[in-house]
This record gives sequence, C-alpha cells and structure tokens, in this order.
Amino acid sequence: MRFVLRLLLMFSVALAFGFGLSWYALTDGRYFGVLQSGPWTAWPDAGSPAPNPYTRAHVVRVGHLPLGQAEGLQFTATTDSAGEPLTRACTYRIEGTTPVATFWTLVAVDPQGRNLARPGAQLALRSGDIVRPEDGSIRVHVGTRLMPGNWLELQGDGPFSLVLTLYDTVASSGFGASVEALPAIVREGCR
Amino acid sequence: MIRTLLYVVAGLVLGGIIHIAAILTLPLLAEETVWTRIAALGARDRVVVLPPVEAGAANPLGLDPELVYGICEVDLSEGPAYMTGVMPDAFWSIAVHNREGTVIYATTNRDGIGRTLSLGIFNPAQTRLLAQQQLDVEEGLLIVESPTDPLFITVRLAPAHEAMRARYAHTLAGVACGSRPVE
Repeated sequence: MRFVLRLLLMFSVALAFGFGLSWYALTDGRYFGVLQSGPWTAWPDAGSPAPNPYTRAHVVRVGHLPLGQAEGLQFTATTDSAGEPLTRACTYRIEGTTPVATFWTLVAVDPQGRNLARPGAQLALRSGDIVRPEDGSIRVHVGTRLMPGNWLELQGDGPFSLVLTLYDTVASSGFGASVEALPAIVREGCR
Repeated sequence: MIRTLLYVVAGLVLGGIIHIAAILTLPLLAEETVWTRIAALGARDRVVVLPPVEAGAANPLGLDPELVYGICEVDLSEGPAYMTGVMPDAFWSIAVHNREGTVIYATTNRDGIGRTLSLGIFNPAQTRLLAQQQLDVEEGLLIVESPTDPLFITVRLAPAHEAMRARYAHTLAGVACGSRPVE
C-alpha cells in the first residue's frame, strides 16, 4: 500500500514539476532565454536563425510573425516599474530614453493580443510622431483618461500590456549598456 | 521517510525529463502555428498584403498597426524562389522564415540595398548549381541559402504617415514573387 502511495506521489511530483516548469519557461521565462530590463522583457534570439529550444517553443506557441534580428527587437511589459500589473483603471507615464533605433512603435494590447486604442484614436504611438523635451527623452501617457502631451488613448477596463517594438536597432547586437536605456513605466492616478 | 524523499527526488528527475520532452516536442505537436496561419492566406507564389490591424479585433500574427505587411509562400523543391520589386522611399525590411517561423535570413533597406528588392532563395543543391554557374541569375541579386524547401517571406514597410498606407500597400502588392526570375 505504501509503495503504491509513494509511486503516486512520485508521478504527481513528476507531472506537476515537468509541465509546470514548461509552462513557466514559455510564459514568464525569466531564467530561460528571456531578456529583462525593468518591466520590459524580450526574447532576444526569437529572430535568430538558430534559436534556443525555449525560444523556438515560445515562437511556435505564440504563433506571431517573429521579427528578424536584423529587423528589430520587440519588448513587452505587463507590469509597471514598481512591479504592479498594468491595468486600464490607472494612467501611466512612460519616460526615459529608448535604445538607438531607426524608429519604434508603442502599442497597448489586451491579454489576447487585441489592440486597445479607442475607436478613432491612433492604434500606436510612433517615435516620429511624439513631442519631445529638449534633451530628446520621451514622455508618453497611457490610459483611458484625458492626459496632456503624448497620449496613447485606451478604452475599456481590465489588464493590458505594452509592446515596444524597436526597428533596425542596435539593442540586439550590442546588448549590455543599450538595454538599460529602456524607459520606465510610472503609475500616476487610478480610478 | 528517507524512502519517501527518494521517491520525491525520482519524481523531480522524471519531471525534468517531461519538461525537456515537452519543450523539444512542442514545435512538432503544435496544431495552430504561424505556418498554418500563413498557409490560410493563399499567398503561394504571390505577395498577399495583410489587412491592417483594427482596434478590438483579433491579431493572431501579432502585427504592428504602423506597418504594411506583405507575405509570400514559396517551395524551393519547385526551383529557386525569387522576389523582385521597387520599394517606396521609406523603411522596409525583409525576412525569410522556415516552417517553424524561425527567421533564417533578414535584412533592411538600411543595409545599403536602397529601394531595389531583388532576392533569390536557393536550397543547398541549387546553391551548388549556382556556384558551378549552371543557373543564370541577374547581377546584384541578393542570394540567400536555405536548408529547407518550404518557406515564407515577409516584407515589412513603414509608411511615414497613415495617408501613404494605401499607396504603399499597392506598391507591395505589385512585388513579384515565385519560382520564375522576373525579367
């Protein structure tokens, strides 16, 4: 009887650990090939000809069109810089610098990947379209409530994530210093 | 007690094996992949311009709303694949993907190729013929060698303003793609 119980224990540990770890590796993936800088995460070898097995499984699982390494790099944030999950009940300020790139776009999507822009508003903010202070840094507001300056206008409520895509960037080649240049996401007010 | 712990450790080892097996077989077992989504577009040997992203609508390919995308599916077993066209004067990039979606080659207009898109994709046997000068290709053709035959090519075009999107999409739709070199 004890043997059977132990065998059951062994198999439940094996299944929970094996599939749990796989699920974690492909979603959060912090210790499995995911690059993290503040709230932003990226799969840096998603666009390489020989990605590591985790990245390969991630690319297949997500089913998105990957961006080649020479084309750019995509960062996603699901939390603000303080680690709180992004929610449309709050307004956020994105400020700081971005790594050198020909241009970048910033999009807000829901967990299913649908664009969250308000009908009639711009679907994405693009580096060339925003107003910058004299030092060339960026300052962008994201949220459902009217904000001054650069504003990515959202609708609805619930969680969302921000996708920052850098095109033709040096971030994928000379990592280290450049990735530190990603902007911070600061929560401002909440409903 | 020690024996129970031994079973737990054995469970962890078995779990590690399950994990490795799951990660390695997932690309083979996945039913809806980027390839099945691309194959549904009917882009075989021609460029299909993807519809623009809409707010609130599903975006299975994870497209950027600021860009115009053109997709072409080719099979090198029918001969080398070519893609020829003249792009507008804006940022554009091109990527060659295999069945898994892995990018085997990518470049942008910033790499010194300007507005002319002239790409030839060859499998190893065709590359050998090319080296032996048994295949005639145009001068200035960008040559890409692919280890596998079924491929798809993505062209990304970034219009500077929304007003240019229709014109850029039209230009992109006019790009030639397929197993015949365009004269």
